[in-house]
Amino acid sequence: MTAQAATRDMREAIVEELIRSSEGGVPVVVLVSDSTTTSAISPFRARYPDRLVNVGIAEQNLLGIAAGLSLGGFISVTANAACFLVARSCEQLKNDICYSATDVKLLGLNAGVAYGPLGSTHHAIDDISIMRGMGTIRIFAPADAIEAAQTLRHALHTPGPVYIRLDNVPLPVFHGPRYEFVPGRIDVAAEGTDVIVFALGSLVPEALLAREWAAATGVSVSVVNMSSIRPIDAESVARQAALSGRVVTVEEHSLHGGIGSLVAETLAERGLSVRMARLGIPEGEFAKAGPRAEIRQYYGIDARGIQRAVLRIAGREG
Amino acid sequence: MSSSPPLNPFQLDPAGIEERAREIRKKIVHMNSAAGQGHTGADLSEADILATLFFRVLRFHPDNPTDPERDRFILSKGHGVGGFYCTLAEAGILVPALLDTYLKFDSSLPGHPVRQKTPFVEINTGALGHGLSVGVGLALSARLSGRRFRVYVLLGDGELQEGSNWEAAMSAAHFKLGNIVAIVDRNTLQLADRTESIMALEPLSAKWEGFGFEVASADGNDPADLVRVIESFDTAGTKPHVLLASTVKGKGVSFMEGQAAWHHKIPVGDQLRQAIEELE
Repeated sequence: MTAQAATRDMREAIVEELIRSSEGGVPVVVLVSDSTTTSAISPFRARYPDRLVNVGIAEQNLLGIAAGLSLGGFISVTANAACFLVARSCEQLKNDICYSATDVKLLGLNAGVAYGPLGSTHHAIDDISIMRGMGTIRIFAPADAIEAAQTLRHALHTPGPVYIRLDNVPLPVFHGPRYEFVPGRIDVAAEGTDVIVFALGSLVPEALLAREWAAATGVSVSVVNMSSIRPIDAESVARQAALSGRVVTVEEHSLHGGIGSLVAETLAERGLSVRMARLGIPEGEFAKAGPRAEIRQYYGIDARGIQRAVLRIAGREG
Repeated sequence: MSSSPPLNPFQLDPAGIEERAREIRKKIVHMNSAAGQGHTGADLSEADILATLFFRVLRFHPDNPTDPERDRFILSKGHGVGGFYCTLAEAGILVPALLDTYLKFDSSLPGHPVRQKTPFVEINTGALGHGLSVGVGLALSARLSGRRFRVYVLLGDGELQEGSNWEAAMSAAHFKLGNIVAIVDRNTLQLADRTESIMALEPLSAKWEGFGFEVASADGNDPADLVRVIESFDTAGTKPHVLLASTVKGKGVSFMEGQAAWHHKIPVGDQLRQAIEELE
């Protein structure tokens, strides 16, 4: 990736895929909870007005109705802010969707600290942790628009619950048009030999930038896009980590139960001893409120912070 | 796109339904006693409602639990699952011997309904305040796909203290879902005490009316009255329906009737003998 890479909002690609799949005969119904602008869903609504259900500001009802529609033969796609999805409707998520194994695909919009200054009511730094406790639901966190569309396409064509963690700003499109998202397979975004960075979603471009800067100081960094959190390619995670034995994880998520936890568990279970730094919101804290870039800077999960961690883990700091 | 909905396979008259309800009650008492656990009071309270639905109202093929045209029944008060299982057994859908496995390790009859395990369970309930939303989704799916099935949701009265029911009620009226019928098992008791002393529900009829429902009342332990009201609902119309069914918790067994303590108590020894005698 370079600074010149084209950018695109994942939501545009998601909505395009909803229309494309609907045109292809997939019986999609999209459900929003007054979140039509949050989801940027208007092109879908214009095309399929009867297939957009707005339940109002009622997130519990959103998921119950989504489950019911899927039991009636539709594929329900919910589109609302991740913070309300996982917290307000957690029990519906557990029982109506996951325990009941209904055909519902959940889009977690504006995840992480995307709502920066709006504070912890609007941050979703616990969504992966919560989803990992929800039975068999598949958990994806695409890193660019191309991958976002592919995670949704996969979800729409395979039965059962899926959670897709999404961002709401134009992000560099670093995957080529021939990229193929495969659930349960890690995506090595860039190769290197000294340190490996496992990055989540919109922090993958930050990690790639950090990689460029580190290269300038003679440190070779590999970047892995952890877009398939469940299923996880545990063997490849372990194999990649073992290559250098120096691991950094970075996520706009709590360090409790996110990808840092997942990578650490994966390595520990295999008896792999590595130098490791987990970057994210520290366990036991809510994230601070403020502009998103400053929150990232504060917690050291932007490109500069990742670069610092990489150099530290490589033994090259100071 | 839809084919004709099936008919109810039994189409019993109220006397026939009463007879089935009595058999369901006997099964409940035996099953819970053998299992050593269960929500006996709730199971007995709802027995006449379940018998009325399964032996008269619901259109379904007993041997085709996935028929897309079948009427849907959702037991939102999932703790009443014992009554549900015994109704399915009485209808010949479950082999009666299966009732012996109730609550046993990894049984197909766990302590709350699980759709992956038991036919005609549409959604996994047990946490309260979920069934009506799922019912709204199903009713909406019928409209979107041009099917004519109806959705019947059995709610506990204590359950109505969960706010999610009212989100669901609001949406059923907003979406003009005449094909959904909520039935409230109004036995006036919840786990710890009377609903009205824990968190008052009354005026319950006015609440449902305010949320846009057609409201009717019936004696929930009298199949004739239940049939009269349920069959009066226009399920092809645009207004959702609710039946406030006055029931007696523990109905049919004198020492359990109206006693909150029998919410999840089990008859043993002489109690069991007396209960069965009274139900004969």
